[in-house]
Amino acid sequence: MQQLPLRNTLSMLNNTFLPGYLSQSENFEELPTQSDVVIIGGGLLGTALSYYLAKSGVEVTLLERNDLNREASGTNAGSFHFQIALHQLTDNMTDADDKRLAEETKLMLDAAMLWDDIEKELDADLGVHFTGGFMVAETQEELQVLRDKQRIEEIAGLETQVMTGNEMREFAPYLAPDLSGIAFCPREGHANPLLVGPTYAYRAHQLGAKIRTNCEVIRIEQITGIPGFRFKIHTNRGTILCNRVVNASGAWTAEISSQLGLNLPMGLSGLHVNVTEPREYFLEAMVQHIGRRLTLKQTTNNTFIIGGGWPSREEKFPLRYSNFWESAAGNAAVAVRVLPMLKDVQLVRVWSGVWAYTNDFKPILGESEKIPGYHIAMVPTGFTLGPMVSRMLAEYMSQPGAKGLIPNEFHVDR
Amino acid sequence: MKTFDLVVIGGGPAGIAAAATASKHGLQVAIIDERPTLGGQIYKRVGPGFKVKSAKEVGKDYFLGEELINELENSSVELFLETLVGTIENSAVVIVRNGESAERLNYKKLLISPGAYDRPVAFPGWTLPGVITAGAAQSLVKTQRVNPGSRIFFAGSGPLALAFPAQLSGYGANIVGIIEAAPRPGIFKALRILLAVIGNLDLMRDAAKYQFHLISNRIPMTYRRIIVSANGKDRVESVTHAKVDKNWRVIPGTEKTVEVDALCVGYGFFPSVELFRLLDCELEYEESRGGAVVKLDNWGATSVANVFGAGDGTGISGSYVAIARGRLAALKIAAELGKISDKALSTLAAGYQRTFSQRTKFQRAINNAYEIKSGIYELADNGTVICRCESVKLESILPVLESTIDPSVVKAYTRCGMGLCQGRNCQRQISALIAQKHGIPISQITQATPRFPTKPIKLGQIADATVTSEKYFIDAE
Repeated sequence: MQQLPLRNTLSMLNNTFLPGYLSQSENFEELPTQSDVVIIGGGLLGTALSYYLAKSGVEVTLLERNDLNREASGTNAGSFHFQIALHQLTDNMTDADDKRLAEETKLMLDAAMLWDDIEKELDADLGVHFTGGFMVAETQEELQVLRDKQRIEEIAGLETQVMTGNEMREFAPYLAPDLSGIAFCPREGHANPLLVGPTYAYRAHQLGAKIRTNCEVIRIEQITGIPGFRFKIHTNRGTILCNRVVNASGAWTAEISSQLGLNLPMGLSGLHVNVTEPREYFLEAMVQHIGRRLTLKQTTNNTFIIGGGWPSREEKFPLRYSNFWESAAGNAAVAVRVLPMLKDVQLVRVWSGVWAYTNDFKPILGESEKIPGYHIAMVPTGFTLGPMVSRMLAEYMSQPGAKGLIPNEFHVDR
Repeated sequence: MKTFDLVVIGGGPAGIAAAATASKHGLQVAIIDERPTLGGQIYKRVGPGFKVKSAKEVGKDYFLGEELINELENSSVELFLETLVGTIENSAVVIVRNGESAERLNYKKLLISPGAYDRPVAFPGWTLPGVITAGAAQSLVKTQRVNPGSRIFFAGSGPLALAFPAQLSGYGANIVGIIEAAPRPGIFKALRILLAVIGNLDLMRDAAKYQFHLISNRIPMTYRRIIVSANGKDRVESVTHAKVDKNWRVIPGTEKTVEVDALCVGYGFFPSVELFRLLDCELEYEESRGGAVVKLDNWGATSVANVFGAGDGTGISGSYVAIARGRLAALKIAAELGKISDKALSTLAAGYQRTFSQRTKFQRAINNAYEIKSGIYELADNGTVICRCESVKLESILPVLESTIDPSVVKAYTRCGMGLCQGRNCQRQISALIAQKHGIPISQITQATPRFPTKPIKLGQIADATVTSEKYFIDAE
């Protein structure tokens, strides 16, 4: 077995910056009076969609009430989660579940291929690294889950290896030696979540997309009588006519859709994230836990980012979600259990982000049949899948009448 | 889990006075400080293994401090030293004692007196070894009897610009020059300060004494000059300073360079507002008291129920005000908890209220005379590191300023403020850059979302294996 490559450089402190910034004056330019497509929301999905649409020659305007990338898109840890994870499992796994998991894994592989090429596509350093990812198990039952999921992943075409005992300890000597086993997926990795969305927006802007920040949508009005336009979008900076609208407002997708009488099957939760001081770089791969809430990785800035689904307190926009000490305490306990050397590493800061999920954890993607022209782009595992589903929707929208591009189970009116 | 009537965060003059006073009136009190000894910065005790032999050498403050600390140590106040505050939630302070796991101190009332820290000023060379803040220099000589160098230059502003070098010089330091950015106090300012002097004579005496010390030791002091750069390869070898206009902007062509091996920088202080912000206490902005400060009523109550503040962490006002406010808050808390009557409260408080108002007047006059001017934010050049934890230079920050007025966005794109100091060194500079770029008053620039921990804490001390996701998540969906 190949040894996990270790980078021995003491410090990899390298600051990556955006290829360019949309200036405040451009952001504040007058709203266009009309646009074929209006995207609501300047997060990862909205910015990626604006890029792919602009690239296909579609006239597109993106409206963001705040700065770009400020909510879930910029507050997540930037991990690519391709392995089957805790939240996808149910208590009593059936054959149907196996089939579902295989489908979900195939989708992850599509996303992996997009991430492979994204830096070339956007001609920018986005901190993309394919470092591999661990899924660790503490108990024999959890080890069995690792073996079961490996079988499903193999069917779907995602390579993972399960290791135990000395093989595990040799492969990952820094992990707790008494873990019952680990799965390793070489495809996993991460990108810098603070750069991906804004870079999409900047490239979209260069392709002619109009990006407007500090522009809040107050009301979506359905109109008739003006040929070629089905919606009038009322904002704090005036109105704009459009033929198609895409709601890509993340946590606020349901709130905005309810204006039009749509009731989306989604909920919100606050997620807690910890970040530590930098230490010598040694942990190339991301670490997750199959039975407890943990995601953990060392960034290229040498800090450790630790999360995995611990809650934070829900607040109303524009307040940021506030953190519970218990989330830090519980999360740190799992992290130290799995990677014991972390116990002497200092926590520098916590933060939290809003997480929007659907009841079946599947994306809501595509055009509403009830309200033609009204589209939704929303995905629970947003960072990993976001760019891919945006590209999928852009393909659908730039080939009017195209069917079959978007899986049925993502249906907006489900 | 024990509940205290009062938990005091910060063992400087304000915190000690508050804890001792509250304890005297029958309250169960805990006091928390991150250092191994009480006293804060001004009453900092000598380090382990050191002994004070001559009263003259350490100065009058030392004995004032000893008196105050003795008052506390002879009370029943429970001491939590070498203890960090993780966060404050649900009427409990989460503390981390040296080497131990986090625990909670429940409180009925909370007094936060976290003190202040030196204003960081970014200029070319400010991160060179040998460049230190005045406060750090003071700590070195006070606790360890170590002089920061053999040829020390002092650049700064404010009343302490006199006091620090005089104090250092008293410890035998060789100070080769002092520059003060503000003008020599003119007749109006002197009058205003004099008017405020009634009841503050001892403070004026101190100032005169410092001045006299500097003159008699032939230490050259010049007004209206600011530090322009610290120069040197691996450490500071010389400093360049220049004349400034009334906004502290450098007047080109007036530069002078002096050979030194240490530079002390003392342009005033920033109150530590982190805990107040974490609790969502209402703040106000007053440049002369250090910028964003917590709003307090006359008793020291914040806008958040049961939370009080005192000392320089609530706005720079000096130790006399700090002690008076600490005692006033403690008396009010004692009254609110029914330990003293309202009548007793007004009797007991009268003297402290007088001190508080006299000293405040004096401090205001001084602060206004030395108010920081915007030129202080314009010293960095493109290659100057602004965020020293993450090594972010000004040239990386400037393009981001085009696109936003939000320091959090600058932070997200550049990592400025993400390091170990948690933004204490760079955030004001970032706010000033945004303010200048977009023509917005610095007081209106939003600050990054307050988050715990307010000081870095080891994960092993935070970890609590009894918090399991099963227990913690009532409803995962």
